[in-house]
Amino acid sequence: MKITLQVSGIAIAAVMAGPAAVWAQGLGAEGSPVEITMIANEAFANQWQEQMVPEFQKVYPHINVVIDGVPYTELLAKSMLDATGPDPVYDIIIADDPWTPQLAQTGVLLDLKGEQVAGWTAPEFEWDDFYAAPLAASEWQGVQYGVPLRSNLLLMFVNKSLYEKAGLPAPTPELTWEQFFEQAPQLVQDTNGDGKVDAWAVDTYFLRDPLTPTIWQTIMNSNGGALLGEDGKAAFNNETGVAALETHKRLLEFAPPGAVSHGFNESLQAFRQGQVATMFTWGSVFKGTAVDPATTTLTPEQVGIQVMPVGSASAGAHRGIWSGVINNKSENAEAAWALLQWLSSKEGEAWQSNTLGVFPARRSTLDSTPESEWMAPVFEALKQGYEVAEQGQMWRPRTPKSDAVQQVLADEVSRALSGQIAAQEALDTAASRIDRLLD
Amino acid sequence: MAVTDHSEGARQARTRSGRDWSDLVSRWSFMLPAAIILAAVLAYPILYTFQISFASLDLATFTATEWVGFENYREILGDRGFWNSMKVTGIYLAWALPIQMILGFGIAYLINVEWKGRSAVRALFLIPMVVAPVVAGGIWRMMLDPLWGMVNWFLGLLGLGNPDWLGDPNLAMATIVIIDTWRWTPFVILIATAALMALPKDVFEAADIDGANWWTKLWSITIPLLVPIIAATFVVRWLGAVKMFDIVLASTRGGPGDATNVVNLYIYEQAFRSLRFAESAAMAVVVLVLTMILTGLFLIGTRRLERSY
Amino acid sequence: MAVVDTGYTSRRHLWRRVRIVAGVVLCALFLFPVFWMVLSSFKMPKDIFTTPPVLFFEPTLETYRSYMSRADITRRMLNTVIVAFGSGALSIVAGTMAGYALARVRLRGAGTIGVLILMSRGVPPIALAVPMFLVARKLGLTDKHITLILAYCTFLIPYVMWLMRAFFQSLPRELEEAAMLDGCGRFGAFFKIIVPISIPGILSTLIFSVILAWEELLFALVLTNRNASTIPVAIAGIAGDTVNGANWGALTAVGTLTVVPVVIFALAVQKWLITGLSEGATKG
Repeated sequence: MKITLQVSGIAIAAVMAGPAAVWAQGLGAEGSPVEITMIANEAFANQWQEQMVPEFQKVYPHINVVIDGVPYTELLAKSMLDATGPDPVYDIIIADDPWTPQLAQTGVLLDLKGEQVAGWTAPEFEWDDFYAAPLAASEWQGVQYGVPLRSNLLLMFVNKSLYEKAGLPAPTPELTWEQFFEQAPQLVQDTNGDGKVDAWAVDTYFLRDPLTPTIWQTIMNSNGGALLGEDGKAAFNNETGVAALETHKRLLEFAPPGAVSHGFNESLQAFRQGQVATMFTWGSVFKGTAVDPATTTLTPEQVGIQVMPVGSASAGAHRGIWSGVINNKSENAEAAWALLQWLSSKEGEAWQSNTLGVFPARRSTLDSTPESEWMAPVFEALKQGYEVAEQGQMWRPRTPKSDAVQQVLADEVSRALSGQIAAQEALDTAASRIDRLLD
Repeated sequence: MAVTDHSEGARQARTRSGRDWSDLVSRWSFMLPAAIILAAVLAYPILYTFQISFASLDLATFTATEWVGFENYREILGDRGFWNSMKVTGIYLAWALPIQMILGFGIAYLINVEWKGRSAVRALFLIPMVVAPVVAGGIWRMMLDPLWGMVNWFLGLLGLGNPDWLGDPNLAMATIVIIDTWRWTPFVILIATAALMALPKDVFEAADIDGANWWTKLWSITIPLLVPIIAATFVVRWLGAVKMFDIVLASTRGGPGDATNVVNLYIYEQAFRSLRFAESAAMAVVVLVLTMILTGLFLIGTRRLERSY
Repeated sequence: MAVVDTGYTSRRHLWRRVRIVAGVVLCALFLFPVFWMVLSSFKMPKDIFTTPPVLFFEPTLETYRSYMSRADITRRMLNTVIVAFGSGALSIVAGTMAGYALARVRLRGAGTIGVLILMSRGVPPIALAVPMFLVARKLGLTDKHITLILAYCTFLIPYVMWLMRAFFQSLPRELEEAAMLDGCGRFGAFFKIIVPISIPGILSTLIFSVILAWEELLFALVLTNRNASTIPVAIAGIAGDTVNGANWGALTAVGTLTVVPVVIFALAVQKWLITGLSEGATKG
């Protein structure tokens, strides 16, 4: 670990000591613009290219930005292949929550709080304005490599109409898991009176997928459990972990038929069709689920959003932050930082959240009144979510082998959920595989 | 045989050297383009795969750093997931390949009737192969979902229950076989149709004059003539099927549990999701060796079959 | 042929009719999921997952409109065409010749090379993608059409070679014999006699090759960024939308659009298939 940090330190030092010509371009000038390139999730690359870049260019007219979208599942591997080359194509990498340690490990990331970048940072940027949890997503071993650009949390979506039909009060953020399971049987109901059940209590991730364990983990975290211990070894194969996995599995009893193969997309469809009363998923889907009439049958009045139910320790909210990081081999680091800085600044964040509906990470933005009315309850859920996520360490493992660990969890959690093995056995197997991996 | 015998004879009659040499060049020039392209593009990647499968890989440079001997192999051979994926792949192959071969040649034979719509039907049969695997997997998911799928809705109308196609571990494998059969039978039909069209017509006319019925014609003329192409289609389909993972990724993701986690999906996840490139290279080498052995056996079987006809 | 009783003829007519009807029904069965895809592409996204499924609805062109306007879809479609037909053509030439060498040219060592080429297909493509990228980067060839074309040839040539070998094996040997006696030479015999009579096999193999290249995802993902990126990459991106969830309106629309060119190509080729055959037959 130390070695790579030194290496990246040397790289930065070398670049700093290098010929001034490298930096001559800086922020570009009339007639000699700078071009920076970015590799991002295909899910939002186009939106950024078409809407965010023109807005950015109003402030920095001489910086051109080219954004290449890559499908989520191959984005990390592709970013690493490019970043580690002698002459990387991309100045900026948009990294998902667990990726910073993996990218930082290869020694290619620029320290954003380092001396050099600090010189390019405006005094009103105010690092302290960010909530701790989203900012920590792009930190690794004491170095801040990125800024949060698109924040997200696993939250609880509520179909208030179905609660009303079942004669139940709409849940509040104080809802506990016990209360949830007390009400769940009533939420499996026949809404049109034809004698057939047509609405269920819940849908979420159950299929074999790296994100399915995050549901189990959030339940475990809100009961005070942790994924990895202080010693960096697996700490989940205990009573709390097993109980959480059994809770996750118990959700299937109140989920629609076929839910064991449901994940992000399928649970979303079931909820948008008004077939399930609650859904645990990423907050970012709120607009398409409650607001946009092309994609949903529901309205903002019908849909509630809040933190996941309360366990013995706290409520739940699993963190998922897209951060922007800069390759330290980039010849346009100043321009790249100008873009990241603007987009995560108070002005940039407010513009992005109001125009694109992207979730912010700054206190100042979250305390302001959003332009769209539907955004207000989301802000409330996010504020509470950041706090509980920070408190319960509700994020994927912070290690350079994070995705490998997550894949092991996906394998074993899925075997338990589909009933192939018992929860205890699944977690024991996962623990021994993970300990071997991290050894 | 006749051709080569003839040229052998001609060669001896003429003076050697010059002609001999140009003859050899002309023979080899048939083989060379393919061999050169493949060697140029594949040599390094295959060598690299072997190399890193015996080493630990530095992700900062994507090069092998330290020779670890058989460490990676020991690691993967002790990996339950890898063994499970081999088993799953075996089950899938054992079902999918025979079904696709029989269905493909059967349908090709069936639709080989002269009528106006023949070319259209043939072209339409290709479409399932063309639909991008991601979309195809998703469409099947959509149709098979117990909640909103039209298949179960239809079964419900007939009172046939509500099977969980993707959620039940045994049924999920059957579902994968069904989707894969839907996707790849068209390939067998395509090749089989071309083979049927290329059959010499005079032999059948002779048989007609002899008063042979269609069953005799099928077994004593059509099938013997088709043996090389049946064998080749099988080998091509086998080599394609071994590598199948896109459909699984798009429909069951290898689940439920690990019931449909085929070996190439497992290798893909180890490499691109878990970034364990050295271990995935070791798995690739194991799969390569096994595939080579089995392909070799099929080729020997093919040769026997061709000789016996 | 001349002396057949009428019962036999009518039975034959009936059997012919049964075969036609069965063929059409089977084809319809195979096309049903495709039909469902096309149908869904004309629905609003929220209407795709209704319970029970809806067959009749007010069609909308919204998804097509919103996705066709995106420049990268058109560009990627063009890239897909270039790469699929480029690699298809190259593989057909190299693979057909190699197949002929294996089937008919007596060549010491060619059999071994042929089997090696075939065996190269045993390497999981996932293992090849990363080293291929490393080579392409070293040569400055990432994100270029030619890189993708050559990469696709690695899996197309072995298939073409093996299938064509089988087609050539079933040809009567007297054909080349006659040609060689006419003084055609080996190349002359191959291009003037063997290729024309093998048109059905060559075209079918070409269709297969183009389709395989058309839908390839893994190499396209790893080896291209922007300039040479293909449609399957775009589709994978829409399906893997982690922000809003997969947009099935867009997926089915793009899916439908990608099918159309290949079907047109296959239909066009069918015509050649018939003429090619009759020409070959007269020559034979």
